[in-house]
Amino acid sequence: MPHLAVSDVFAKYGKLEVLHGISFDVERGEVVSLVGPSGSGKSTVLRTLVGLTPVTGGHVDVDGTSIDYHSARAIKAARDRMAIVFQQFNLFQNMTVLRNVTLAPTKIKGRPKAEVEAEAIELLSLVGLADKRDAYPDELSGGQQQRVAIARALALKPEILLLDEVTSALDPELVNEVLDTVRRLAGEGMTMLLVSHEMSFVREVSNKVIFMDKGRVVESGPPGQIFDAPTSDRARDFFGKILRG
Amino acid sequence: MNYNFQFNVVWRNFDALLEGAWLTFQLGVFAFTAGLFVGLICAALKTYGPWPVRLLVNVYVVFITNTPALIQIYFLYFGLPDLGIRWSNEACVLIGLTLNAGAYLTMILRAGFLSVRTAEMEAGETLGMSLIQRIRYIVVPHIAKSIYPALANFFIVILVMGTSVGALIGVDELTGQAINLSSVNYRWLEYFTVTAGLYVVLTFVASLGLALVGRWAFRVRARIF
Ligand SMILES: Nc1ncnc2c1ncn2[C@@H]1O[C@H](COP(=O)(O)OP(=O)(O)OP(=O)(O)O)[C@@H](O)[C@H]1O
Ligand SMILES: [Mg+2]
Repeated sequence: MPHLAVSDVFAKYGKLEVLHGISFDVERGEVVSLVGPSGSGKSTVLRTLVGLTPVTGGHVDVDGTSIDYHSARAIKAARDRMAIVFQQFNLFQNMTVLRNVTLAPTKIKGRPKAEVEAEAIELLSLVGLADKRDAYPDELSGGQQQRVAIARALALKPEILLLDEVTSALDPELVNEVLDTVRRLAGEGMTMLLVSHEMSFVREVSNKVIFMDKGRVVESGPPGQIFDAPTSDRARDFFGKILRG
Repeated sequence: MNYNFQFNVVWRNFDALLEGAWLTFQLGVFAFTAGLFVGLICAALKTYGPWPVRLLVNVYVVFITNTPALIQIYFLYFGLPDLGIRWSNEACVLIGLTLNAGAYLTMILRAGFLSVRTAEMEAGETLGMSLIQRIRYIVVPHIAKSIYPALANFFIVILVMGTSVGALIGVDELTGQAINLSSVNYRWLEYFTVTAGLYVVLTFVASLGLALVGRWAFRVRARIF
């Protein structure tokens, strides 16, 4: 049984349907990447999984149990298992780095402060920012902010980490520090679903790549197959432009 | 121009003026604090509430901000007794000023609600925060920081202009006290010069306090003047 199974999912923004039946699986410990042209619905897939954009059809199962996106409680439970990091502006601007990481575990989950802080400092070390614990987000570079956002997501001990183009708002020289963090998490066996335009990185870390276009999965498979021998014209065309253009 | 200034009378009754200033300060702080609660709740309802609630808040804000504070307080003090509701003059000033400040603060705070970044609110939501928790941990600190100067200015408006309306229904705050005293010995010029000075001191102390609170609690570098 797959850890996360997305089956024939539809989603709308108002009247505009942007996902027209998306299906894919993520196994435990796998890194799966969503790639495709701008506007193809990659972010929307991640948003629907955590209940930010309503699911209008199909179903999502975690460990074989379907998530009822009509129930606020079920969405909350789903968010305990899946954490999302956005492209930018993730951090709470008016809190220190440490408080950004500890707020949800202490105030929302009610866990003891000392224990949470110790864990938070460990997570900050993992992303290489232990010395920034008392800084405010506006005192950090974009790459540092994204690493804090990843640490904050991990503080809730999610089973699956969803990363939406966490490097696309960054200057090229900052991209690597964030990718290193993701690499390290992949090495530790974290299950991740990521959206990325960094194709060489996707190829390196992913167990599976899903190519999307216009709200549909066009093809999916191991990175070697998708990048080097895509079967669809659409994918060939897209990778042709990206990898050689 | 050969007015003979006599400040001795004023100094003899300076204690009474100080008492008035203290009452002014208390009225201002109370009305502002209570108004802040009213404004915060109304701004939240106006931003996240269903449409009938938003309409109700709009009616309240439009009604209050388009009528003079004096009329509102007269309504409470002279109007309501006809309906059998009798409040003391101080209670009327407090309630009137709170409702008045609440309406203006709804508008000021609303700007803060609208300027919170969606991504921060969504991040809060996906971290498991309820709407109330997001308001408390994300919106309120954001407002405190981003529109702190506007709030501090409004506090001064309430403190100086708002509270002095009380004099007209016999509340002995600073203006009321100055009127009382000067009508005994007709030293209007002297009393009102000193009273004006006391208002300046009051606002200076209040501004300084607010700037220190802002700096300490919200990392705001507010200018005092
Ligand atoms: N909040 C929104 N309201 C209305 N339409 C939206 C909204 N967000 C996205 N869309 C539309 O949904 C479609 C899919 O958008 P989505 O953001 O999922 O694409 P994407 O694959 O993540 O693109 P990109 O690579 O540019 O981030 C697009 O056509 C977009 O215009
Ligand atoms: Mg996107």
